[in-house]
Amino acid sequence: MLKTTPFHERTARVCVSHAWRRWAGHIVASSYELSHEREYHAIRSAAALFDISPLYKYLVRGRDAARLLDGIATRNVAGARVGDVLYTPWCDAAGKVLDDGTVARLAEDTFRLTAADPNLRWLQDNATGLEVTIEDVSESTAALALQGPASRQILQQLTDTDLTSLKYFRITAARLREFSVTISRTGYTGDLGYEIWLEREHAIPVWDALIEAGTPYGITPAGMLALDIARIEAGLMLIDVDYVPARKALIPAQTSSPFELDIGWTVSLEKEHFVGKPALAEEARRGPAWRFTGLEIEWDALERLYDEVGLAPRLPAAAWRTSVPVYAGGEQVGYATSGGWSPLLKKYLALAHLRSRSAAPGTRLEMEVTIEHRRKRAGARVAKKPFFNPERKRA
Amino acid sequence: MPASYDAIVIGGGHNGLVCAAYLARAGKRVVVLERRDEVGGAAVSEEVFPGFTFSTYSYVVSLLRPEIIRDLDLPRHGLHILPLESTLTPLANGDYLAQWSDHDQNHRELARHSARDAEALEEFGRLMHQMARAVKPLLGMVPPDPASLAPRDLLGLMRVARHVRGLGPGAFHALCKLMTMSAADYLDEWFETDALKATKSASGIIGTLLGPRSPGTAYVLLHHYMGEIDGVFRAWGFAKGGNGSVSAAIAGAARALGAEIRTGAPVARVLVGNGRATGVALESGEEIAAQCVVSGVDPRRTFIELVGAEHLPSEFVEAIRRFKFRGSSGKVNLALGALPDFTCLPGAGPHLRGAISISPSVDYLERAYDEAKYGECSRRPYLDIVIPSMIDPAMAPPGRHVMSIFVQYAPYAVNGGWTEARRAAFGDAVIDTLAEYAPNIRSAILHRQVITPADIERTLGLSEGNIFQGELTLQQMFFLRPAPAWAKYQTPIHALWQCGAGTHPGGGVMGASGRNAALTMLGSAR
Amino acid sequence: MSEPVVIIGSGVNELVCAHRLARAGRRVLVIAAREPRDGSLLEPGWIPPAIVRDFSLDRHGLTIHRPDPWATVALPGGGALELSSDMERSVTAIRRLSPRDAERWPAFCERMARLARLLEAVYAAAPPDPLGRAPRDVLQLAAIALRARRLGRQGVEDLLRLLPISAADLLDDWFETDALKGALGAAGILHLARGPRSGGTAFNLLHHHVGSPPGVFRPPRSNVRHVLAGLPGIELRRGAEVARIGVRDGRATSVVLASGEEIAAAHVASGADPLRTLTVLADPKWLDPDLARALRHVRSRGVVARVSLMLERPAGPRALVVAPSLDDLEHAYDDAKYGRVSQHPYLEAVSAADGAAGSGRVDVHVQCAPYALAQGAWDDGRRLELGNLTVKMLSRHFPDFEAAVVTRVLSPRELEVEYGWPEGQACHAELALDQALWMRPVPALARYRTPIRGLYLCGAGMHPGAGVAGAAGAHAAQEILRDGDRT
Repeated sequence: MLKTTPFHERTARVCVSHAWRRWAGHIVASSYELSHEREYHAIRSAAALFDISPLYKYLVRGRDAARLLDGIATRNVAGARVGDVLYTPWCDAAGKVLDDGTVARLAEDTFRLTAADPNLRWLQDNATGLEVTIEDVSESTAALALQGPASRQILQQLTDTDLTSLKYFRITAARLREFSVTISRTGYTGDLGYEIWLEREHAIPVWDALIEAGTPYGITPAGMLALDIARIEAGLMLIDVDYVPARKALIPAQTSSPFELDIGWTVSLEKEHFVGKPALAEEARRGPAWRFTGLEIEWDALERLYDEVGLAPRLPAAAWRTSVPVYAGGEQVGYATSGGWSPLLKKYLALAHLRSRSAAPGTRLEMEVTIEHRRKRAGARVAKKPFFNPERKRA
Repeated sequence: MPASYDAIVIGGGHNGLVCAAYLARAGKRVVVLERRDEVGGAAVSEEVFPGFTFSTYSYVVSLLRPEIIRDLDLPRHGLHILPLESTLTPLANGDYLAQWSDHDQNHRELARHSARDAEALEEFGRLMHQMARAVKPLLGMVPPDPASLAPRDLLGLMRVARHVRGLGPGAFHALCKLMTMSAADYLDEWFETDALKATKSASGIIGTLLGPRSPGTAYVLLHHYMGEIDGVFRAWGFAKGGNGSVSAAIAGAARALGAEIRTGAPVARVLVGNGRATGVALESGEEIAAQCVVSGVDPRRTFIELVGAEHLPSEFVEAIRRFKFRGSSGKVNLALGALPDFTCLPGAGPHLRGAISISPSVDYLERAYDEAKYGECSRRPYLDIVIPSMIDPAMAPPGRHVMSIFVQYAPYAVNGGWTEARRAAFGDAVIDTLAEYAPNIRSAILHRQVITPADIERTLGLSEGNIFQGELTLQQMFFLRPAPAWAKYQTPIHALWQCGAGTHPGGGVMGASGRNAALTMLGSAR
Repeated sequence: MSEPVVIIGSGVNELVCAHRLARAGRRVLVIAAREPRDGSLLEPGWIPPAIVRDFSLDRHGLTIHRPDPWATVALPGGGALELSSDMERSVTAIRRLSPRDAERWPAFCERMARLARLLEAVYAAAPPDPLGRAPRDVLQLAAIALRARRLGRQGVEDLLRLLPISAADLLDDWFETDALKGALGAAGILHLARGPRSGGTAFNLLHHHVGSPPGVFRPPRSNVRHVLAGLPGIELRRGAEVARIGVRDGRATSVVLASGEEIAAAHVASGADPLRTLTVLADPKWLDPDLARALRHVRSRGVVARVSLMLERPAGPRALVVAPSLDDLEHAYDDAKYGRVSQHPYLEAVSAADGAAGSGRVDVHVQCAPYALAQGAWDDGRRLELGNLTVKMLSRHFPDFEAAVVTRVLSPRELEVEYGWPEGQACHAELALDQALWMRPVPALARYRTPIRGLYLCGAGMHPGAGVAGAAGAHAAQEILRDGDRT
């Protein structure tokens, strides 16, 4: 018995592909249409509507709420203003990433934490002696992501809150038609977009309102396959795919620190203490052993490899999520964990863990590809993330 | 008397059969001598009531070594292990706790009781997986003798030390704790849901006269995770046709490899001459000579009864006498006209295809133990129930069912001894307990078979009715099983070997003792 | 460096730690909380010879009390079994009950004593680290392994077998007399929330045998704390209560008193139990949650009450034991397990030293009386009841107790307040196998260091724990000196 999301009644109706998958014990659409292509293009050209309710959500309240989150997150949560949203990982004592998500300061002593994995126990265990309440609102809070260049226009029709003044990584309470919601200028596509957080019981009317208001602008319900391509273009890592959370790692080699995942910018070593700080301070001094970078596969080289067997290059339409070796010279220097064809950039992209010495942008490497049952190596170049970074994302 | 056999295996239990099969595979002339009219020892399927077949004694397959299945090609000889998918624990308050094999379903169910525990379970599972990996190499190992200065033993000890030191601090300390703590204390560090702790800790008390709060019971928690690291993802299974088909498959393999199996051939004693085993004498008076003798029966029976203390060094006899059996469990087998209807989860759902555990709380189990400690049967015992006919319908006539109930505690040394009345009272306590959770059970019962530790001893020859041929406690494990210096399947009598569960690693339908013994005899053990 | 090393607490461990540091040239300040109201009590526990020698305790008035017979065991049918340090006398006494047991007694004592000598050697240093790769660790392990092997085959086998088993299994192997097994089994459960049928209690029996001559299974008592407190070289602040430990940038820098006074410290060593030290005295945020969780699960369940009685006439040094059988001890534990005060507890009544002030005084160890009661709470009524029960049980066997006056009853609750013992547990962390050696109190803290630099643990919760006077303190001092000013 899997759970369904609060929008299931609507998403089930439009999911003509019947392509469902699991996400945190829920069923969600892989794609609604028979192919996910149009859903992807809606993200970049109009607006795509994602049901992101399976995210874990925790409401942290009380005098010590900031103190608790500041002691867990690597970012400076205590310094956040009301209305700020922080993207942050959190680590174990060894400085290895347990999970990543966002912390939104809803009020002086009220925060909402979103996470990919359940984290109630971790929050509680860190809260010993603190005056704070932790409420798991995963079930009671529904969430949608409206992403794409038209997202602001669509959303603005339904609310009096001036969305042009809602800056990147800010959050505000608003009324969407008659429903109280919070709207954050955040997303997982690297595009202009919003995430809408609401009470479970308002899920259906809010969905309907968005579809109604968005239809003239080309709003399209979109599934996880489309999202996967967009997040790779945006250079955003995915838990369980691009990194193994320390809690699930079977051996230390499977774990990664924020520095190794290239989110060292989130590590605020000026804070007096947070879980993992001593280890991370040491790593910062030493320099990380690994880097998580972008990789652009050289198309000409790939074409040549296909040509050798008498074929034109072929790539699957969906992004892949397997581990693929990456070489420098004859030596394996890392592995790519996600990749795929960018329909927008017309490039073959991948995200890869590389030994630090081979991770400088521009470094020429080779990635393993399988062509006609044979393993080959295609030339690739280390690229800066994000691959796609439109002005409108922050504007 | 000319030796017509290379080896005689005493006892056709699964370890004896495994040992014989491996010896035969190496080209040895082997005969297995089984006292009863069928092989299998405690792993037998019997049509106890017409049309109703029971795995009379042992009833699940948990740790049967995959290498034995592969080496002896057991599936070709009829072995098919079907998955047991769930465990249902009915609670005193009318609710239940179910454990499912699907991760998401399991998480959701446990989160219903405690979101914290649902999270902790993942981490716990990861640690147990690590632990199982840490312990696995030791299971297949011939235990070195820690007091010996022989190079072989020193090397063995160094190998153990290197392995243990290679675990890293997290795993090493967790292993130390698992070896020394009680299941209840260990689980307290992880979980808050009482029924979850109780059901998990129940695996730690099986076959011992210990309670969930007794130190030394945590280690057995590992067994549930042991199967996983062999790539067998459903560790607990049910053999199609009952556990007798496990024995039949091994016997079939042994015969195919050239071993001879004689049933109805009880051994009276091991023939010893000049400090060396030369053969056996059957109760019928027949004597059979062999190059060596391997005993698959338990250490007390082997050394005190079949060999005789007079042939053995006194410290060794002392150690064997000290070896604790203390059978503590019994079985109730029911032929049912209808399925049980559990008040907590009415109807015939998927939960009846798995195990049903009457272990509502740790205190419940501990109280059951308290009574056994002083020589009484538990008034409200721990029950581990399976309904094999739900998994393999051929076990019962169409529409009817067989139910196997493992019961603990029923102490062997019950006050006043086991009598007919005692046995009936014991059976009644089991039915009364079950009826509290499934009230229709009384009317569904067509036949009932009650097996006490005394019955197990009498019928199967297991001393004090201990299902593991001796308690599986820390002081009786690895190089201490069954006696220090004699844990390497050898015995103080030249050419007499041991291959039963009373040797390392012992316990359960695992076969490792039989395999290790055979490989040691053949000189190819690691 | 001008700041002193500040030691929190003034028990034997803390004082030994302080003096060791002072001898090494450190300035040491000991913060002694208020004295327990019956501070005249003698300290139980073996004092390792190195400590006696280093501080010439003999010359400073150390007196060690060992009643002989060390146990006068009440027999259910009347009379008593006297167990003495003299082997022959014990054999004669036991023979009256069981010739078989009498015959076995010397061998048992000899084999236990051999294992105790090994344990003494292990206790003479910080716990071995089986995973340690430093030369020091490897050498220590090798030395222990070698020593163990020198026990010979039988010794090694005894050791491996004894460690995990229950006192009942050990004693049942050897003896048949209930009274004898009861008296020995009692040492197996001493201060432990366990019954004699629980694994690990044979180890506890051995632990309490450490430092005693063969055939004596009770630790001695001494005035060692008093003597150490009087030695020069350290500064002692009496009557001061520590409110918290100041931590800056992950380093312990001061100790703040309840009065608000802040004392800057070069290092801090705490004799308080580890949980209190790291979650109450220091800000818990410095503990990573996994360690905090492990620490919260350290078992420290107090099960002992102390009843003080006054006899009309001093009866000389005696140790009276009421522990009729292993089953009785087990029943007493069953009660504790479910949060009940046992109505048939194990009693051990020790008289004050001859000639000492109040020499009619007898202190009675009453086990099991659990800290947490399933129903109700410890109150005057319960304490009075326990006092009366104690007198009644003792006077049944020892007539001079009929007129005994109960002067004081300390339940685990009061012991917690009076002595700072967590849940009234004198050992801070119960001495179970999973809380011994390199796992004491938890593996991450076993080397006396904490996640807070410059903060050390030196109390009974550390290896080798209660029952070995001052050893934990001495080892902690060693580690502090080893770290030097690096931290």
